[in-house]
Amino acid sequence: MTFDSGMPLVVELALFALAVVVLLMGIAGRPYLWQGPRSGPVGVAGGGPAGKAIGWVALGGLVAIFGLTFLATEGGSVLRGSFVQDSLAIFAKRLFIASAALSVLGSLTLPHASFSRRAGEYHFALIASLLGMSVLASARELVLLFVAFELMSIPLFLLTGFLKREAVAPEAALKFFLVGTASSAVIVYGMSFVYGVTGSTTLDAIPAAMIGGHPLMRLGMALLLAGLGFKIAAFPFHMWAPDTYEAASTPFVAWLSVAPKAAGFIAIIRLFVEGVGSAALVWMPAIAVLAGMTIVMGNLMAIPQQNIKRLLAYSGIAHIGYMLVGLAALSSSGVAMMLFYLVAYMFGNMGAFLVVEVVARSEQSDGIDAYRGLAQRSPLLALVMLIFLLSLGGIPFVAGFWAKLYVFWAAIERGLYGLVFLGAVLTVVALYYYLLVARRMYIEAPVRRDPVPVPGLLRAAIIVCVLGVVGMGIYPGPWVAMAMRVAATLF
Amino acid sequence: MGLQAYLTLAAVVFCIGFFGVITRRNTIGILLGIELMLNSVNINLVAFARFSGDVTGMVFTVFTICITVAEAALGLAIVILLFRVRRTVTADHLDLLKG
Repeated sequence: MTFDSGMPLVVELALFALAVVVLLMGIAGRPYLWQGPRSGPVGVAGGGPAGKAIGWVALGGLVAIFGLTFLATEGGSVLRGSFVQDSLAIFAKRLFIASAALSVLGSLTLPHASFSRRAGEYHFALIASLLGMSVLASARELVLLFVAFELMSIPLFLLTGFLKREAVAPEAALKFFLVGTASSAVIVYGMSFVYGVTGSTTLDAIPAAMIGGHPLMRLGMALLLAGLGFKIAAFPFHMWAPDTYEAASTPFVAWLSVAPKAAGFIAIIRLFVEGVGSAALVWMPAIAVLAGMTIVMGNLMAIPQQNIKRLLAYSGIAHIGYMLVGLAALSSSGVAMMLFYLVAYMFGNMGAFLVVEVVARSEQSDGIDAYRGLAQRSPLLALVMLIFLLSLGGIPFVAGFWAKLYVFWAAIERGLYGLVFLGAVLTVVALYYYLLVARRMYIEAPVRRDPVPVPGLLRAAIIVCVLGVVGMGIYPGPWVAMAMRVAATLF
Repeated sequence: MGLQAYLTLAAVVFCIGFFGVITRRNTIGILLGIELMLNSVNINLVAFARFSGDVTGMVFTVFTICITVAEAALGLAIVILLFRVRRTVTADHLDLLKG
């Protein structure tokens, strides 16, 4: 085994170092962990670095590593091509790290004492998961892909149940865990067939085997698609998402709703699209059906929701369906538009969740009724929420509009008219429930008249999301060009 | 015995595990089902490796075993936590989150 050069691994090494630093800071802050239970006050941040400081270190580190991705050279590979640093990997890493930084920025002000006392663990788990995603984005080998997937997933279960004394947290963590591990088992069962047919674990061997069309290969790829469907919460495999979102802390959910799903899509691209060419068209009907079902069911199930986090969870499922429309085109422009959609979804969805956190902290409720008369109480906050909702709904001049338009465009190029029609009709349904929230904010009378306080750090995170949504909406050109450039290397 | 026998065994074990995941009401039972599913993967991988004379499958198996152990540890920890907070490990009683 030869190590061509350590440089392609620079982002992963930096993330690993950051995770270790954060973990050690967390241990240093709780002397009773290593001096015995008597020596320090249990339940209070001890003499070492306080929770806030750990959060700031994690945030600073993530921002620095985000900058580092611009230094990483494209095209490098290590471990005989198992780990590649191509433009798709770098694009995905920037998306993961940017969304993680936004989430950490949002979680710095979480009021619960656990977040301050166990900040080391929280940020360690988050960065470990991020490391898994980062490796996943570069993996071109089945064993590495699987290990990276698990490194991503296991800390997510842990983070979901982070508030372990509350009744709902362990329940959500257990549901997420059971679905997540069962889907991992399905994925790795599929991988075993792919390995058996191709006789090697590198992804380079997949295109030839796909063209060969061995029945076991078909079975393996179908299992992989189903297992990855769980990870991205596509329709028949979506049940874990709403429960998990409702119980976990909102800034974490903002990240959970974007980054792991993006990672699932990257894995699908690596397995089904990259280098496969026209042999992948066998999978077009399966992906198209998955996309159609996901759009319909996600949108319909969102309508009756009275909890804003559940509403956003179901609408997120529908958005996964729209991304699958782009993927179903299995063309260069389809994948590019899916990547563009991912970025638009990141800004819009994370922004909406961060506003939810602001309102929930002031009203102590995740119900839609908490938004009553928000426009009269805090006009700016209501406007920002409206922008995010319109972006998610797909109204012109915010990011979501272009994302939907481009995805449909790519699908029409491939003749998927029925799917596009379905998607367009369901967009109206989506607008209906987004505007139900907007109606509460703008038309209904407020219960209280005092403005909603917005913590400064959350405000910063929300401003970044607004800039992203509006910037992509007014000036989508450069983002599209970037996505096209990334996708062009895959075909 | 040929490769097919091993693949059939793995498929049977996988299906038993999957059936357990779907039908068990006790969360520990569901965990056991998931373990069976993951073990069927190991049978598959070792069989493929043995019959193609390629060692990679065996290495893959070592990785899946390690990860399975990590998952089981976390899963049981969550079940214990759940029992402490809620005094039940039955899936039917986990109904605080719904809709």
